[in-house]
Amino acid sequence: MRAVSIIAAFVLLALTTLLISIGLNYVPQAEAYEFHVKVAIVAIAAALLIAILFNRRPAAETQDVKAEAAKPVPIPVAANQAEAEVVSFLATLQEKGRLVDFLMDDVTAYTDAQVGAAARVVHAGCKAALKEHFAIRHIRDEAEGASVSVPAGYAADEYRLVGKISGEPPFSGRLVHAGWKIDSVKLPRVLKTSDDRLPAIAPAEVELK
Amino acid sequence: MTHRFSLGIDLGTSNSAVALTDLENDETAIVDVTQIIGPNQVGEKPTLPSALYIPHHDEFPENSFTLPWDDGDGKTTIVGQFARQHGALVPDRLVTSAKSWLSNPHMDPRKQILPWKSDIEEDKISAFNCSRFYLEHIKDGFLYAERTEGREWDLADGQVVLTVPASFDEAARHLTAEAAEAAGFHDVILLEEPQAAFYAWTSQAGAEWRSQVGPGDIVLVCDLGGGTADFSLIAITESEGTLDLERISVGEHILLGGDNMDLALAYTLRAKLDAEGTSIDDWQFLALVHAASTAKVALFSDESLMAAPIAVPSRGSSLMGGTLSTQLERSTLEQVALDGFFPLTGVTDLPQEGRGAGLRELGLPYASDPVVSKHLARFLTRSLTNVRASEGLKSLVGDPDSSKGFLAPTAVLFNGGVFNAAPIRQRVLDLLASWNQGRPVRELEGFQPDLAVAKGASFYGRNRVTGKGIRIKAGAARSYYIGLETSMPAVPGFKPPVKALCVVPQGMEEGSDLVIEGQEFGLVTGQTADFRFFSSEVRSGDTPGEILPDAERELDETSALEVDLPPVEGFPEGQAVPVRINAVVTELGNLELWMKHTNSDHRWKVEFQVRTE
Repeated sequence: MRAVSIIAAFVLLALTTLLISIGLNYVPQAEAYEFHVKVAIVAIAAALLIAILFNRRPAAETQDVKAEAAKPVPIPVAANQAEAEVVSFLATLQEKGRLVDFLMDDVTAYTDAQVGAAARVVHAGCKAALKEHFAIRHIRDEAEGASVSVPAGYAADEYRLVGKISGEPPFSGRLVHAGWKIDSVKLPRVLKTSDDRLPAIAPAEVELK
Repeated sequence: MTHRFSLGIDLGTSNSAVALTDLENDETAIVDVTQIIGPNQVGEKPTLPSALYIPHHDEFPENSFTLPWDDGDGKTTIVGQFARQHGALVPDRLVTSAKSWLSNPHMDPRKQILPWKSDIEEDKISAFNCSRFYLEHIKDGFLYAERTEGREWDLADGQVVLTVPASFDEAARHLTAEAAEAAGFHDVILLEEPQAAFYAWTSQAGAEWRSQVGPGDIVLVCDLGGGTADFSLIAITESEGTLDLERISVGEHILLGGDNMDLALAYTLRAKLDAEGTSIDDWQFLALVHAASTAKVALFSDESLMAAPIAVPSRGSSLMGGTLSTQLERSTLEQVALDGFFPLTGVTDLPQEGRGAGLRELGLPYASDPVVSKHLARFLTRSLTNVRASEGLKSLVGDPDSSKGFLAPTAVLFNGGVFNAAPIRQRVLDLLASWNQGRPVRELEGFQPDLAVAKGASFYGRNRVTGKGIRIKAGAARSYYIGLETSMPAVPGFKPPVKALCVVPQGMEEGSDLVIEGQEFGLVTGQTADFRFFSSEVRSGDTPGEILPDAERELDETSALEVDLPPVEGFPEGQAVPVRINAVVTELGNLELWMKHTNSDHRWKVEFQVRTE
């Protein structure tokens, strides 16, 4: 389920990148893209939920993440522990960056300026959460568009070669996307979950006078 | 005893941190503190927010706050990240600034009065127990963190160094040490925070630090944390080719820090929003404080930005419909943070004192004047008075010119999050230069202020147990006095002055012991005797046995002293026993007072008792 969380984080990252583009470049002609933006947000939201709901893996598989192996969880693992941990990560993104509020709202009802203001909240909060829990960096440090060399013995899962692929590495070509990877994961741990239901993403808040 | 490690603990007013030096490989690292992040959620953070929350019994599901080391029947209170975050919205149940309550001379730190002015039905907590809980959490968290990394430490194999503000008097230091003892740390050494920052700098700058300071330098350690300002001066001299360091002056306890700055910015922004016809509630105000702090950091770290955007999220779930946006302009930031807190005031411009205000609400004695420049001026002015009071200190700093009216530092070491901002550091340097007839004051370089106090404390512990590395000569930061009632005929409307007998001179060193000759007291066995206890940080020249004519005018009252004389064999009950005062500074740097029988080796310990009014 750590793997799921990581997938969720990747999806989130794509989302925040998108938010920067719509949030920070808010100019009148952006309206032309509004449809694409909406579609993209909805698609990403769907991807996030699908990733969370269907990617159930046994907890035992997660021990390959180094930082986790160092700090074993001493609590007996409940049957739905894996799902509870994903919900807990989503709760972190909601708490810090209001992600669920943002995605579950109907974006068509608001002006671009309103969406932009909300995007700042999501961007600042989710970015802080991401940086706190993941040691995240580009796979290649060169500027996108630069000529790069892919060395012999490269990690195949860290590169996607497109165009004309032939011969033996090293390959050289133009860097289209610098890629992202995570060196270590430091997630909060869920202590104890109820067997019959999952924890809340965000509790209903009631102010008492 | 051989030590295997040194543990430095920074028990901060708003955040605590812990650093470990493994003496085997001589490496120092911050130990992340495991803490409650939310109900049923634990995680690691480099600092432990010094906040304690007392939950309502129905507020959270049962056992939602079990720490990995809890044995089941744990405490009902929550410490750390979640306590601070959730408590901000439920202030009635949140305890913060316990450390400042510990040094509050008007409140009994063992009385269960916190959260202050709260109506909760649950048991309240004392400032002493609150500090004890933080320290217990740090202790258990440290052992747990190391165990999960496969290392088992026995606390008895380590030297624990706990930092306290230089402005803490003996009563507050004593309480801190006692809280540590109660939390399960033994033989703890207390170290003043500005000194810890200096040790951290020498260890970070490596051998380089010796080239940045030289004989004749007076280093101002300027430490501005979240809630407190703490100043010290360290003089550097040379003897037989090596540099000697001596802490020559400490400041008063000032409740003023970076949090005040963020609040001031948030109030300014709220006024702007109000003027635009938008009002925000308390929850949004907290978000605004946070956003203002982030915007401040962004503007101070990038000089090309003219304004930083601020978004205050809605409280309800419609983020897009309810988010308010505004911006923090550079001009506003400079006006509020720089000119508001660090204006270029004159060195004779001292803080306005709030003491004359007659009736005063009990509570924390927050600084009534927010201008840091003026507090700094007061510190340097008082430092001159202190240095000039003794020949030893006078010669150490080369007999300073008193016509300037203040003791001019030649270099500054900044510590605390506020000074991450280069424009604030520059403003303090400009201020000092303006007082110093335009002569510039150097900034000591190569310093990473993050978590420096904990690292410096750990480093100091390492130096102590290995005998390697530097030591700042410090000794008692203040001189201490016992009040003597003046015997004179009663006159209506005239209160006779209380004389003061100096019992501990400033600079009294660790491992020393002195008996005040020539002043005998009669203590009655089977009775408790009380004394008034005073201190001063500006009277370096007073010697043990010296009597000052008016304690209340010249000194600060610290606490009450109490000595209980049980009936002892050889001393019949009700009989007055002649005693002399015996002052001891232990090897660990703790001050103890004893009443020593004039004609034998019998002695009775004097307990510090915090004054309540």
